[in-house]
Amino acid sequence: MKYAQLIRLLVNRELTLRYKRSVIGIGWTLLNPVLTSAVLWYVFSFVFASRLPSGQQFAPYLMAGILLNTFFNQGLMQAADSIASNGGVLTKIYVPPQIFAISSALAGLTNFFIGMFPLAIVCFISGQPLAWTLPLVLLVGVALALLTAGLGLALSIMFIRFDDTRNIVNVLLMILMYLTPIFYPVTVMNSTMQTIIHWNPLTSYLDIFRWAFSNNANPTMFSWIYMSIWSIFAILMGTYVFKKYWPRTVAML
Amino acid sequence: MAVIEVKNVNVTYRVLMNKSGSLKELFRDALKGKARVVDYVALQDVSFSVDKGEVVAILGRNGAGKSTLLKVLAGVLPPTKGTSKVNGKIAPMIELGAGFHPEMTGSENVLFYSVLMGRDVKSVKQRTPAIGEWAGVTDHMDFPLRTFSSGMVARLAFATATDEQTEVLLVDEVLSVGDADFQAKSRARMDSLISSGAAVVLVSHDMSAVRELATRAIWLENGHVKMIGNPEEVVAAYEAN
Repeated sequence: MKYAQLIRLLVNRELTLRYKRSVIGIGWTLLNPVLTSAVLWYVFSFVFASRLPSGQQFAPYLMAGILLNTFFNQGLMQAADSIASNGGVLTKIYVPPQIFAISSALAGLTNFFIGMFPLAIVCFISGQPLAWTLPLVLLVGVALALLTAGLGLALSIMFIRFDDTRNIVNVLLMILMYLTPIFYPVTVMNSTMQTIIHWNPLTSYLDIFRWAFSNNANPTMFSWIYMSIWSIFAILMGTYVFKKYWPRTVAML
Repeated sequence: MAVIEVKNVNVTYRVLMNKSGSLKELFRDALKGKARVVDYVALQDVSFSVDKGEVVAILGRNGAGKSTLLKVLAGVLPPTKGTSKVNGKIAPMIELGAGFHPEMTGSENVLFYSVLMGRDVKSVKQRTPAIGEWAGVTDHMDFPLRTFSSGMVARLAFATATDEQTEVLLVDEVLSVGDADFQAKSRARMDSLISSGAAVVLVSHDMSAVRELATRAIWLENGHVKMIGNPEEVVAAYEAN
């Protein structure tokens, strides 16, 4: 592909720039989820650990949730922001602007995969064996990257047109986070909440991810179909919306 | 052979009156039927073509549509009506160093800027030392760009943008980069690019530069072509206006 080199540079830039002035640099990508998980584990393990089905360990359960949520949250915000923040370039040099959003999603994906290493260690320590389905994690990652890139593309148009969207999306993402079983088992909720959580697309991604990595959840056929539908829908909708509104939006940059 | 062909190009911006960029106000105005959208015509029925080796200067007051026209030529802004075709590689020097990042080193910025313009990573990496040398910043290439002086940044950007022979150069007031020495050097490089067949579209307020460089001039006023032809005549008419 003609723009593969540019995408690689952009992903690289996004991964390294954030830590440019820090001592351990990209090491923070490893350390961040570990530290967040450690704090949440300390806070919630008394409450929730005993509520998990037997054979499921709380520490890897929690950390898997955090990794996936970080990927989606950061990836989406960066993808949505990428076009506005690179407006200076996009109005001077012709490159397909979608490349910036896609690169942001891919940077999120890379971070997600880097996070697999500390997650594997946490699994090992807590005595949760890795599953032979581990390669399927790749599939979940790609599916989530498609969802992130698709939603990010659509949002990027909104971000340029209306400043408010950024704040609205921040709130929505926070609600979505609490509706995803990141640090609690679904069974602690009442049945209405369980239904809502069930229809939250991120729940399907997370269930499949936990199951594929270390057999730490029980996804159903529904989870797979629901995940695929959302990923395909998001990327098609995102590219369509972007293509349709970009010519009028570029003038606002 | 025409390298650039612009036919009946119109560009209209949609401007939201009392635009505040806030969703709430948009909703409120829409409910009251007050969301007035005004079409602002930036370019109107602009047609011209540029041949190999030609230097076309675009004149006009602020807001006449010069920058919009360059953006259309660069392919960044799709025209609302009409077509703009460029055959060949473009070196967009609309703003030197678009895409430069202060935290990246000189070399990294050269690489990124070049790849943005469609060059190959491998060949750029080979060329980087030569680019740094030409810009006179060899000793600084491994330091972050924020440690460069603004003149150094501009020189590095110019050196990068003009490092490869391209069919089209789009220039927006960037001929006044650096000190006198560097200006002479960059002028010589422009001349050599032009003599080896590049077509140049140049936006400038510097009339003596236009007289000296241009082979043709286009005078834009309020988005339409007011006059097109010999630079001497167009500049004289523009200055008399």
